[in-house]
Amino acid sequence: MSRLNIQRLRDELAQAWTVAVKDVRVYYLRPGMIMFGFLMPFFMFFSFSVRREVGAAEGVARLLAMTIFFTAGAAGPFIIPTERRIGTYDRLLAAPMSLLTLLLGKTAVGTFFAVAVSGVALLAGLLFFRADILQPGLLVAGILLGAFSFATLGLMFGSMPTTNPGDVQMPSTLLRWGLLFVSGVFIPLSEMAPAARAIAYLSPLTYAQDVMNHAVLGSGLINPWLDLAVLALSGILFLLPSIKMHQRARVLGH
Amino acid sequence: MINAIEVENLTKYYEKFLAVDHISFTVKQGEIFGFLGPNGAGKTTTQRMLTTLLTPTEGGILINGHDLARDAYPAKQKIGLVPEESNVYTELTAWDNLMFTARLYRVPRGERAKRAQELLETFGLWEKRTVRAENFSKGMRRRLSIAMAIIHKPALLFLDEPTPGLDAQSIRAIWELIRRMNAEGTTVFITTHQIEEANQLCNRVAIISHGKIAAIDTPERLKANFRRVQSVEVAFDREMAEQGSGLESLPGVTTQVKVADKMRLYTEDPSALLPRVTQYAESHNLRIVSLNTLGPSLEDVFLEVTGGQIGVIKHETEEKPHRRGMGGRQ
Repeated sequence: MSRLNIQRLRDELAQAWTVAVKDVRVYYLRPGMIMFGFLMPFFMFFSFSVRREVGAAEGVARLLAMTIFFTAGAAGPFIIPTERRIGTYDRLLAAPMSLLTLLLGKTAVGTFFAVAVSGVALLAGLLFFRADILQPGLLVAGILLGAFSFATLGLMFGSMPTTNPGDVQMPSTLLRWGLLFVSGVFIPLSEMAPAARAIAYLSPLTYAQDVMNHAVLGSGLINPWLDLAVLALSGILFLLPSIKMHQRARVLGH
Repeated sequence: MINAIEVENLTKYYEKFLAVDHISFTVKQGEIFGFLGPNGAGKTTTQRMLTTLLTPTEGGILINGHDLARDAYPAKQKIGLVPEESNVYTELTAWDNLMFTARLYRVPRGERAKRAQELLETFGLWEKRTVRAENFSKGMRRRLSIAMAIIHKPALLFLDEPTPGLDAQSIRAIWELIRRMNAEGTTVFITTHQIEEANQLCNRVAIISHGKIAAIDTPERLKANFRRVQSVEVAFDREMAEQGSGLESLPGVTTQVKVADKMRLYTEDPSALLPRVTQYAESHNLRIVSLNTLGPSLEDVFLEVTGGQIGVIKHETEEKPHRRGMGGRQ
């Protein structure tokens, strides 16, 4: 790789980091982020777990999977349409960096958010549920790759050519809730009917839940390496429609 | 020398709507180039294509010799963009907005703070550097937006409607800054519907109407090419009604427009019209308070080429026609 290309790569990484840090400072404390990213997973957890005889370890694994899922996916659908509406997104699109760099910066925002809120969830699990983490390495890898996958899923919705966050929140929330109920979060995979399990395997949340089960309970239904590979691959795949939709937005003029 | 901008056959359709219709033009290095047109003429669409924010349907764009369709990266490094809306981050302070942009454009680490300070001082925002931009007035946000666009010292600066809604002091300050940047070597491309702005700032002006370039030249040459929109402006000691005074029937008058307490009579031959106006005053027992001949203004040219009706459209900062007449009030 030539010196020029290495310099360009360094510049692009620095620019992705700059975008991510700016978004953290500007958007993390916005009501939309707090509602959909921070409070939602805890509400959902308590709604479906309290008084249902859920074991401590099982509850913590579920809480972690839901936290990563909701929190990582909250940034994209909120931030990008908001920036398009107020015109600040043009500043980013006109800057000397590739579209992929911009999208990776935006992905990092959701990923950091999920990692931070997962830390809170983990702490709550350790303190209040007295849960043990049996495989800490797997837990860290699962949180990081799960956060990446769900951040790019959120980014995909944020990339829809619209300037109204409301246009994006509705389909994104519908899909996320749908995934939540088919992904073995509330009904374990082993207890699902074959048809339901086949649907569950299509959802990346299934793999995130399974890897959390491995890390906290010490057992899961899928090979943990496969869980991690699916999370990484789905994260990359979700970037592709985001790129296409940005290119479409440039044609449409959004 | 390579042109700052070369546009060839540029076209943009929004589905079936033709917004920009096969336009071609060049902007030389060091020019202040005005893109003048009424709302909806295609100005902003053109500028968004020039700044990579919009994909053309057809045609080519070279920025400093770099083809935007092939590799926009080197062109983007040389561009500064001030969009119509002041797109500053209101949650960040003026200082943080500038530092963010400096990092985004890879301004060397050692120069960022120095440049940010210089710009904040130049724009009169240094004292407010720690204040979040949400507490800024419209004019202050505009100045901050411009500072953010030039922190990387772009060779080519795009400004989309830089001054509407600003007070006269802010407008003058922004014009002065544009002139100064241009004097230091920055090429400036301004889209505006404000005729006085184009007249005051631009070396050359393109007038765009319905997606096509209707005229392109220096402001003075554009005016000179439109001799038919010269006029005689007269004020009598009694105010005249717009219609029925008989002035519009004087030989040589093509159009009559009432402007405040004066009558403006458009003609191709002002010198022939002057004696007829004085005869009219004598015959109607009127005393002439002021009498001037006016050269065509850029507004007249603009209205002529865009198909507007002279005297009907009034702009926020109406250009004063070039006066070359005798006596009377100025």
